[in-house]
Amino acid sequence: MYPVIRLVNRNLTISLNMGFLIWQVVFPLIYIFVAGFAYTALIHEVPFANKRLDYPAFIASGMIGFNIMNSTLVSGIIIWNDRRHGMFEQILVGPFTRTQYILSNVYTIGIIGLISAGLITAVGYPLFFESVEFNILTIPLVVFASITGSILFGSIASIISTRLKSSEGFNVVINTVFLFFAFVSTAFYPAEGAPKILATAFYFNPLTYLVDVVRAGIFGNFNSFVGLEMLVLACGSAVLFVIATKLLSKLEL
Amino acid sequence: MSCIEARSISKSYDGILAVDSIDLSVPTGKIFGFLGPNGAGKTTTIKLLTTLVPPTGGTIRILGMDAISNPLEVRKRIGVVLQQPSYEPTLSVEKSIEKYAMMWNVDKKLQKDRMEDLLLAFDLQDIRKKKNDDLSIGHRRRVQVAREFVHDMDLLFLDEPTVGLDPSARRSLLDYIKKRVREGLTIFFTTHILEEAEYLCDEIAIINKGKIIAVDTPAELKNKFGREKTIKIHIDTIRKDLSVLLQGIRDYQIDYNSGTTITIQSHSSENILLKILKILTVNKIPIEDLSVVPTSLEEIFLTMVKNSNVSSD
Repeated sequence: MYPVIRLVNRNLTISLNMGFLIWQVVFPLIYIFVAGFAYTALIHEVPFANKRLDYPAFIASGMIGFNIMNSTLVSGIIIWNDRRHGMFEQILVGPFTRTQYILSNVYTIGIIGLISAGLITAVGYPLFFESVEFNILTIPLVVFASITGSILFGSIASIISTRLKSSEGFNVVINTVFLFFAFVSTAFYPAEGAPKILATAFYFNPLTYLVDVVRAGIFGNFNSFVGLEMLVLACGSAVLFVIATKLLSKLEL
Repeated sequence: MSCIEARSISKSYDGILAVDSIDLSVPTGKIFGFLGPNGAGKTTTIKLLTTLVPPTGGTIRILGMDAISNPLEVRKRIGVVLQQPSYEPTLSVEKSIEKYAMMWNVDKKLQKDRMEDLLLAFDLQDIRKKKNDDLSIGHRRRVQVAREFVHDMDLLFLDEPTVGLDPSARRSLLDYIKKRVREGLTIFFTTHILEEAEYLCDEIAIINKGKIIAVDTPAELKNKFGREKTIKIHIDTIRKDLSVLLQGIRDYQIDYNSGTTITIQSHSSENILLKILKILTVNKIPIEDLSVVPTSLEEIFLTMVKNSNVSSD
């Protein structure tokens, strides 16, 4: 087995536990089935491109991006735990290089991101199946968003985990950052109709781009703006990945 | 043939020299002890030899390979138990050994056999299903050391492996190490417990302030630096007049504790003993007990480090 695959195997073993699965499955389900239906009394329909979606369908598709973001926290948590529990050094005195360690994290978050996306798509499908317009062009959009989104958020979590030294600091920063990402985005509500400042703030948030591209894929709505969002997502993930790799490479032992 | 050949290796952090141009030669199939006080440079030396950090200067050859230009190939053939704990908190004892074996690409069938052997050798069978997070520090350390033996290697670095272990677990580990060395493994071993080094090591290097101050076998170190013998004479009555009687004799001290004890500590303890015995006989003072305290590696270590500190100051 290749060293990177062995490390991915190890990453998945240590990450996939009951707590993580609850985090990954139960929370999105609460958002989709509790918040989604409860808010239906207030929000009857949400305009999306040339369609009008009911709120559960809108939030269920938003939860795919939200779940990808949450799942990539794993990357930061793996690095953080490895540093905290001495496994980072232990791996690097073993038959592995830093590059292999970094790549294994990328593959891990990619796999977890795709599985998360698939899981929420399956769970949310009954809610948005009426409006779904999957085709050969739009399915790759969801896959593209899942992978670039995983790398982007995984890199952010990795950067945070390499910069902080205390557990409290790590938890506070990661929760604050991800809370901002979750709620100042188009995952829960559309940018159209929101106050201008808020709508602008949405577009300083990578989750908005991820969610928009996923929705475009699910509801078959590809246009030039979505193309631009894909470009931002690709560039953002590339830049942040390079920064995360540099920081991880320079991490003192 | 040497397993480790290091020449003039140095390492500085922010201008502070942690390792100062040291030479090391570790023979194959032996246990090499590396001793030194806290902050002497032991862990930095291990980090250099295990390729974890590059040296500021010097050359390192491990198992015949250049460790600076070929670190990955070196790491594939060594094992390292670092001083700090390293564990996967969410995995059970057996799962963490199994995953560690997988990371080292150990054959599946071999993994199972080795794991069972290690669980037995390190007395981990009762806690095999427990998660690492729930283990005591001693148990966690045992798992960390046991885990390292699951893969093939030619050279093993053990950085204070017995920290946190109870005496029985410590002795079992030392005996297990001896067994593995008889099978051909080479060990680079650091410890603070000098009896361990004396019990285990074929050769010992003492490092202080980043410099090697002595390298030899424990016996030779004692021979060279441990000539100072300690002799104790016990008299069962309190004799306050003894200091007057022994006037003119050097290198002894008197303690009054359930009688009188004269302790001689000198390079010529035998001569001083003869002089004191003569005085005691003349004054008809009966001796209750006379004992020679053998020189321990600990005394040599403390003396050498003290002398090294004085000379460098």
